[in-house]
Amino acid sequence: MEGTEGWVDISVNGTPSKPLPERFVVAPATLWFDRFMNHFIKVGGLSIIVAVSLIFFFILLQILPLFRGARVQEYGSLPVPPGDYVLMGTDEWSELPFLLDTAGSLHFVDTVEPDGPHDRGHFVRAPAFLEEVEAAVVRYNEYQARLAYGTVDGRFAIVDVKYRPTFPDRGGREVLVNLEETPLLSIGREGVALDMIAYGDSGARKLAAAVQQVDGRYELHVVSLAQRRTLLGPGELRVDQAYDLTDYLDGEPAHVVIPSDADALLIAMQDGRVRYLHYDGRVFTERQVFQPFADLANSRIASMDFLLGDVSIVMTSVSGENRMYSIYRDPDKDMRIWGHTKTFASMDHAAAFYSAGMRNKSFLIGSGRFASLRYATTKQIRWEDELPFDIRLALLGPRYDRLLFLDAEDTLHFYDLRDPHPQAGWKTYFAKIQYEGQAEASYAWQSTGGRDDFERKLSLVPLIIGTLKGTFYAMFFALPIALMAALYTSQFLKPEIKRFVKPTMEIMASLPSVVLGFLAALWLAPIVSNAVPSVILAVVGVTVSAYTFGYVWGHLPPHIRLRLKPGYEFIVFVPVMCLAAYACWTLGPVMERTFFLVTDPSTGLQVADFRLWFPTVTGLGFEQRNAFVVGFVMGFAVIPIIFTISEDALSNVPDAFRSGSLALGASRWQTAVNIVLPTASAGIFSAIMIGLGRAVGETMIVVMATGNTPVTELNPFTGMRTLSANIAVELPEAPYLGTLYRTLFLGAFVLFLMTFIVNTVAEILRQHLREKYRAVE
Amino acid sequence: MTANRDTPTRAAAPNDVQQRRVAVSRSAAATLEGVNAQHIQVKDYSFFYGPTQVLFDLTMDFPERHVTALIGPSGCGKSTLLRNINRMNDLIDGISHQGDIQIDGSSIYDPYLEVISLRKRIGMVFQKSNPFPKSIYENIVYSLRVAGRNKKSELDETVETSLKAAALWDEVKDRLQESAFSLSGGQMQRLCIARAIANRPEILLMDEPCSALDPIATGKIEDLIHDLKKEYTIIIVTHNMQQAARVSDKTAFLYMGQLIEYDETEKIFMKPSEAQTEAYVSGRFG
Ligand SMILES: Nc1ncnc2c1ncn2[C@@H]1O[C@H](COP(=O)(O)OP(=O)(O)OP(=O)(O)O)[C@@H](O)[C@H]1O
Ligand SMILES: [Mg+2]
Repeated sequence: MEGTEGWVDISVNGTPSKPLPERFVVAPATLWFDRFMNHFIKVGGLSIIVAVSLIFFFILLQILPLFRGARVQEYGSLPVPPGDYVLMGTDEWSELPFLLDTAGSLHFVDTVEPDGPHDRGHFVRAPAFLEEVEAAVVRYNEYQARLAYGTVDGRFAIVDVKYRPTFPDRGGREVLVNLEETPLLSIGREGVALDMIAYGDSGARKLAAAVQQVDGRYELHVVSLAQRRTLLGPGELRVDQAYDLTDYLDGEPAHVVIPSDADALLIAMQDGRVRYLHYDGRVFTERQVFQPFADLANSRIASMDFLLGDVSIVMTSVSGENRMYSIYRDPDKDMRIWGHTKTFASMDHAAAFYSAGMRNKSFLIGSGRFASLRYATTKQIRWEDELPFDIRLALLGPRYDRLLFLDAEDTLHFYDLRDPHPQAGWKTYFAKIQYEGQAEASYAWQSTGGRDDFERKLSLVPLIIGTLKGTFYAMFFALPIALMAALYTSQFLKPEIKRFVKPTMEIMASLPSVVLGFLAALWLAPIVSNAVPSVILAVVGVTVSAYTFGYVWGHLPPHIRLRLKPGYEFIVFVPVMCLAAYACWTLGPVMERTFFLVTDPSTGLQVADFRLWFPTVTGLGFEQRNAFVVGFVMGFAVIPIIFTISEDALSNVPDAFRSGSLALGASRWQTAVNIVLPTASAGIFSAIMIGLGRAVGETMIVVMATGNTPVTELNPFTGMRTLSANIAVELPEAPYLGTLYRTLFLGAFVLFLMTFIVNTVAEILRQHLREKYRAVE
Repeated sequence: MTANRDTPTRAAAPNDVQQRRVAVSRSAAATLEGVNAQHIQVKDYSFFYGPTQVLFDLTMDFPERHVTALIGPSGCGKSTLLRNINRMNDLIDGISHQGDIQIDGSSIYDPYLEVISLRKRIGMVFQKSNPFPKSIYENIVYSLRVAGRNKKSELDETVETSLKAAALWDEVKDRLQESAFSLSGGQMQRLCIARAIANRPEILLMDEPCSALDPIATGKIEDLIHDLKKEYTIIIVTHNMQQAARVSDKTAFLYMGQLIEYDETEKIFMKPSEAQTEAYVSGRFG
C-alpha cells in the first residue's frame, strides 16, 4: 500500500501488479458506503424475517397448551382411621376432606397440618339428629356440599357442610367447618327405613324423594318442602305436599335422582328403563321412558349421576359402557326430553365411583384400580391410569386441581391435577358438537354465559365462515368495481383526468376503517334496510344501464359518436348512470309494493315490506346490520387498494403491446381485454390478493356494522362474526392465559394460516402468470 | 470525417447498389405499367407533439404496389410520419396536425371514418419488434380473431400462408403453440411481419424492420419485401442505405421534419439533386 495517496495496489498471487491510474480507482467512501448499505439492508431484511417468525412462535406458544392433555401426579398420602366409609367430600381447596361412614358421621382429615397444634389432624362431626335415630341412607351433592340423610324410621334431614375459610393472624388460610342441619321431616311410610333418597333444591322449590320397601314391595314417595319467610329470616322448613308415586314403579328401582332445579324426577329400574317425571310445582307427569342401554345384553344401569348443571346424566352399564343423556327441547314434540348425546370410551367394568367437576363438564369415573378423567363436551379422555392401589372412593377437587382417592388400606391419596384447558381440542374447535340443550350437533361459538354451569361453545367454524362470508361480500362489491375502474382509468380515460382520479382513490384508501364502520352502522345500515328493493334494483339497474349504454354508444353513427373525443365518453356516461341509479331508487318502493307483499299476522292486512317478506319466504333471517351492508362498506375499504395496484399494473403494460394490437385493427376494448389484461394479470392478481388480505383481516367495520352473531349461513341479510372481530370483541373479556384467551390466539393463528395459504397459492399463481406474460426486453 | 468513412465495406457499397438496382428496376417497370394510382397522398402535412413541430409541410404521394423508402438521420420524423398514416399517434397526448393525408382519395381524418377500419387496411411493423405474450399461432391470428373470424380452418391457413410469406414457416411450423417470446430477435421481427400481413391489408408500413438483424435474416426480409410488393403498397423506414437502394422503388429523404428530396430510388442514390441528399446517402453526414 505504498505509493501515492488514493492508489490501490492490487496484487495477484502475491506479485505486486502495476499501480492503477487514479481515474480507475474507486473512491474509498463509495466502496465503504456500498458495503455498509449491503450489510444494512441484509440486517434489515433478516430482522423483519426474525420479527415475523417471532410473532409466529409467540402465537404458537400461546396455543400449544390447548392441545396438551391433563398432567396428574401424586403428591402425598395420609393414613386415615379405618372405617366403613361410603362417600367423600371436600372443601374448595381440598384441604379439609371428609369421609362419611355408614353411621352417617363425617370424619374430617386435615391435610395441611395432619399433626398440627390444633388437634385437628382428624376429627369427627355428626349431625345432632343421629343421637336420636340411626341413618339408613345418605346421599351427597358435591356441588352444593349438601348431605341428604334418610333414617331407619322413615324420616329425612338435609345437612349442609359449611366450609368457611379463615385467615388467622399467623398467616395462611385455615378452613373451618360446621354442619347446618334441618329438622327431621317425615316421608313415605312412617317407621320404615329409607332405601334410597334424592333431594333437589332450587331455592324456591325443594323436592325430596325416597324409596322404601314395604312387605317386599317398593314404594316411591316424594315430598315438596316449603319454608315460610318471616321477618326474622327463613322460617321453619316443613313438608308442603306429599306424593305417592309408587304406581310408576313396576319393579325394583335402581336409582332415583332429582336435578337441582327440583322440576323432575328420574327413576331408573333394574331392567334399565328410565322414567322421566316432570314436576310443574303441583303434579308429576310422566314425559318419557327411555332405556339407555337397550342395545346391550344386560341393559341394567350400573351408575347414573348428574354432570355439572344437572341437565345431563352420565351413566354406565354393568359391562362398563359409558353414555350421557341430556335434556333438550325436542322440536317435534315441543317438549324438553332426554336424549342420548354422547358415548364415551367404554370401561372394563361398571363405574364404582363417580365425581363430577364443579368448574366444567368434566367427571372422574372408574372402578377397581382404574380411574379416568373425562370431558363430557368433547367426549375426550383427559387422563386415565391404573393406580397402584384399589380405589374405594374418589373425588375430583372442586377447583379442578386435585384428585383424591381413598384406597382399600385406609390411605387417602392426593393427586395434583394440572389441566388448564380441559375443553380444548381439535373437536372443540373444528368439529360439530352437540351441546347441552341442543337437539343436534352444531358448530357454535358462545364463550360466556350467565351461569357457572354454562357450557362454553368454542367452535371456530362459525368464525371462519363469518370471515369467508365477510370477505366474499366485500369482494363481491369491490372486485368488479375496482377492476373495471382500473381498466377504464388506465385504458380509456384521458391522462389529464386520470391525473386527479388516481390520487382521489388513494385518499379513499387512507380513510380509517373506524369511520367507514361508523358510517355503515349508523347511516348506511338503516337506509339500506329500509330500502332493500331499491338497493337491489340499483345494483342491477346501474350495471344493466352501463352495458346498454355501451352497446347503444357503440352503434351510434360515427359522426355523432366522434363529437366526443375518445376518452371523454364519461361526460355522457356519468349522467346516464346517475339517472339510472335515481330511477332504480324511486322504482324500488314500487317493486316492493308489487312483489314483496306479506300478510301481517296481527292485523291480517297485506303489507309491502321486504324485511318481513324475506324471512317468511326464505325462512332465513333479516337483520339491519347485515353482510350486505358490511360487504358494501368493506368493499369501499378494499376498492382503493385493488384499484391503485391493478391500475399501476395495467398502466405498466408496455405501450408496444397496445400499439401492436391497435395497429392490427383491434378496438380499445379488445386491446384492453385481449392484450393488456392478460399481460397485467400477475399485477392484478397481486392487487386482488392484497385486497383479499385486507378484507379477511378487516376488523373495525365488521365489529361496528354487524351484530357480531356467529352464524354459519351465507345469507346476505344476516350479520356474521369474523375471526378478527371475534378477537377484538372477546379479548377484553378473556382472562389472561385462560382457555378463551388461548382460543382467541388460535383464532388469530387460523387467520394467519388462511392468509398464509391464500398468499402462498396466490404467489405461485402470480409467478406462473408473470412467467407466462413476461415482456421481452 | 474520419478514416472510418473509407472502410472497404463502405467503398463496396455503390457496386452492390448497382447490382441490385438493375433487378429492382426491372420488376418495378413491370408493375408500374399496370398500376399508376397514387395510393397514399400526403398534402401540406405538418405535425406537432404539443408545441413542438416535428413534420413541416410535407407533400408526397406513395404509389400503389411500390416500395417507398423513408430515409433520413435519426430524429428527422420518419417514424412520426409512418405512425400518422394509420393514426397510431392518436394514442399520444397533445398532438395536432395541419394539412391532410388521404388514402385512395379520402382523408384519414374524416370524422365519418372509423379508425379501426383504417387500421385494418394498414399493416404495421414497428421499429422495435413487439410480439404479444401469446403463442406464435395466436400472434398471427390476432387480427382475425378481433375481427370475429374464429374458424379453425381459416386461422390455420392464415397462419401457414403468413408465416410462409414472412419466411418463418420452416423454422416454427413445429412449435406454433410455443410462446412468441421463445423466438430469436430476428424471428420475432419476421413474426411481426407475418402478423401484419395476416389480415391481408393493402398497405404495409415497416419501421426499420431489419434493425438488429443479421445479414442473413435481413436478406430474407428483403426478399420478402420483394414478394409482398406484388400485393401491397409498402413504406419502409431504414437507416441502411444499401437496403433502401436494394428494396425500394422510390425514396424520400427527410431532414429535420422536412422533405428534402423524393424521387426514384435510382435517382436519389445515383444523381441526387440536393447536396444534402448526396451527402447523406454517401455517408458523409447523418
Ligand atoms: N411521443 C413523442 N412526444 C414528443 N416528441 C416526440 C415523440 N416521439 C417522437 N418525438 C420527437 O419527434 C421527433 C421525430 O421522432 P421520430 O421518432 O419520428 O424520429 P425518427 O426519424 O423515427 O428517428 P429514428 O431514426 O431514431 O427512429 C424527434 O425529435 C423526437 O424527439
Ligand atoms: Mg424511428
